[in-house]
Amino acid sequence: MLEESTELHDKFWKIFSKQDRNKIDEFQTYMDKFAVNFNLYKDGNFIEQSLPFDVIPRIIPKKEFAKIEKGLQQRVTALNLFLEDLYTDAKIVKEGVIPKEFVQRASGYLKDFVGFSPSKKVRAHINGIDLVKDSKNDEWVVLEDNLRVPSGSSYPLSIRDTYRKIYPDFFEKLKIEPIKNYPNIITDAMNYVNTGGINVLLTPGRFNSAYYEHSYLADKIGAHLVRASELVVIDKKVYFKNYNGEKILVGAIYKRLDDEFIDPKFFNPESLIGVPGLVESYLSGNVALMNAIGNGVADDKGIYYFVPKMIKYYLGEEPILQNAPTYLPYFDDDMEYVMNNMEKLVIKDVAEAGGYGVLFGHSMTALQIEDLKAIIKGSPRRFIAQELIEFYDEKCYLDNELKNRKADFRAYVVMGEDVKVWNCGLTRYALEDGNYLVNSSQGGGFKDTWVMEL
Amino acid sequence: MGQLLTANVATNLYWLGRYLERIEGTLYEINKAYDKIIDVDKNAGVILYKKFDIDLEYSGALDFLSKAILGEHDANLANIMKNARENSIISRANIEESAFGEIIQLHELFQSITKCPRPVDYRDIDSVLSLISEIWGAHTKMGHRRFSDHFLKLGKLVEEVDFRIRFNRGEDMTIFILQNIDRLIKVLEPDLKTEKLKKEYNDKSIDIMDSIYKKIDKLIIY
Repeated sequence: MLEESTELHDKFWKIFSKQDRNKIDEFQTYMDKFAVNFNLYKDGNFIEQSLPFDVIPRIIPKKEFAKIEKGLQQRVTALNLFLEDLYTDAKIVKEGVIPKEFVQRASGYLKDFVGFSPSKKVRAHINGIDLVKDSKNDEWVVLEDNLRVPSGSSYPLSIRDTYRKIYPDFFEKLKIEPIKNYPNIITDAMNYVNTGGINVLLTPGRFNSAYYEHSYLADKIGAHLVRASELVVIDKKVYFKNYNGEKILVGAIYKRLDDEFIDPKFFNPESLIGVPGLVESYLSGNVALMNAIGNGVADDKGIYYFVPKMIKYYLGEEPILQNAPTYLPYFDDDMEYVMNNMEKLVIKDVAEAGGYGVLFGHSMTALQIEDLKAIIKGSPRRFIAQELIEFYDEKCYLDNELKNRKADFRAYVVMGEDVKVWNCGLTRYALEDGNYLVNSSQGGGFKDTWVMEL
Repeated sequence: MGQLLTANVATNLYWLGRYLERIEGTLYEINKAYDKIIDVDKNAGVILYKKFDIDLEYSGALDFLSKAILGEHDANLANIMKNARENSIISRANIEESAFGEIIQLHELFQSITKCPRPVDYRDIDSVLSLISEIWGAHTKMGHRRFSDHFLKLGKLVEEVDFRIRFNRGEDMTIFILQNIDRLIKVLEPDLKTEKLKKEYNDKSIDIMDSIYKKIDKLIIY
């Protein structure tokens, strides 16, 4: 189902109808020429491929985006307070708002970091919040919070420049919010938490799936792109190794790898992509890590269930943006509901990401449903269930025709001295008709997102 | 503090310079040999590739082009270009954007030449040389990336010396390039203490290359 067209959409189509469609190929030419890639491993082979791009942008009216912005600022503020509280006083647990056992069994909860407060008490520096627009009530709904290593911002950022060059008409005639400031927002956040030293972006390396984004963002935010072997910890301080052997103090690291790999001395000893001693430096307050270690607990889909309660608890406010209706089989009432309504629910493994571990009740056989019920009963903490949101399709220009595809929206929220929401984001669409999974790792494509006013 | 670069990026920029120069230099020699093979000296290709320690066999001028550029040997230019592409991806933040795009295009060009059913011909050589010229052109600009440009140039110069030695080219220019290499190294690491490359040019070409590599080993520290 498509959203009702507005005057903004009409303006877009009027200009689009006069554009040379042959120029659409130039987007792919640009992405090929500048290796704008998302890498995959298939059958043991490393494959570089560009993310499919659709020329029809998602359009969000500026007034509507203002509400999304407020809701996201509220949400991320609450999540940051939750993380800070959880790893210090844990009041929200002691007061029974979130069950203690529930938190402790979250795979991202790292007990070893209880008692530590990072630089300026900022933990959720860069957040990717996934939203969809519900066709039943036209409201934006949060599907997922990504507070560990959210990716994808480089794609709309890099494609926007090309869009302006290929089809300048849109940008001359429409009031589209400019978006170039996103790297500055990140830099400001890095500088705010920096403990003294240079800024670096830590990448697992060339063969990571998001390496393009790592190198692109490092360049744009003015941070040095490094692999683990290019940093060294001496006396609990982190240093950048210059080509001539000189060691330069590092004050903030934008890390693009999961916690378990960042330090083989502390976490996984087999990690070849981590910096030995980094955690000790971090715990000594000698370097800021973006995002903080231990944020994985907030990425847990079970914890997502409690975010509206967090907002009320920490901010004393009603949530501006709602969660999708969610059930935790961990609670008896919810378990009963899930068992009786599996066919219309979406079941998610709390620890998975990237669209993996998601099962749609309506597409499962009776036998599969029975099997899944047994698995859920055996490990209730492992799953959540959500009502299937009939979110709007977006029009896509595929194979020279307009087709409807399900699309979500990943907003990027950066926390430094304050909380800023990027006035753009990653709109992801499913390549296949009727597919609700839009993640790039599932084969989805992306669109530009235009925040516009009349 | 000058521009900060990791040893990995510095090395990749250096090798990018070397590989691009190698492709360019090799193609110029291939062009000359191709011209001779047509109707002056059928063995011109064999003689050329002996300088690369490669025994090349071919049936005629066009076959020489295919075997020289895409043959199963260490001087396969498509393979060298793959390496150059990797170098550029790793060091892309320090490469001028349009130059980066041209490097990717150059790689794609080699891939299409490799897959094309028709034999390699002079147009392919012209297209490659044209793209390489654009890449060098984009990097003659000085700016906030000084040191990274120097590493690229260092690689280019080192490869040039290698070619000049292999082809017994004029001493004066070779010495001039050696002095430029010394100057670049001095800029990149003023405190590096090494012997100056000897002004006297002698037959021990291996000593010259060896002394250059030793300096670079001291310059880039892992």
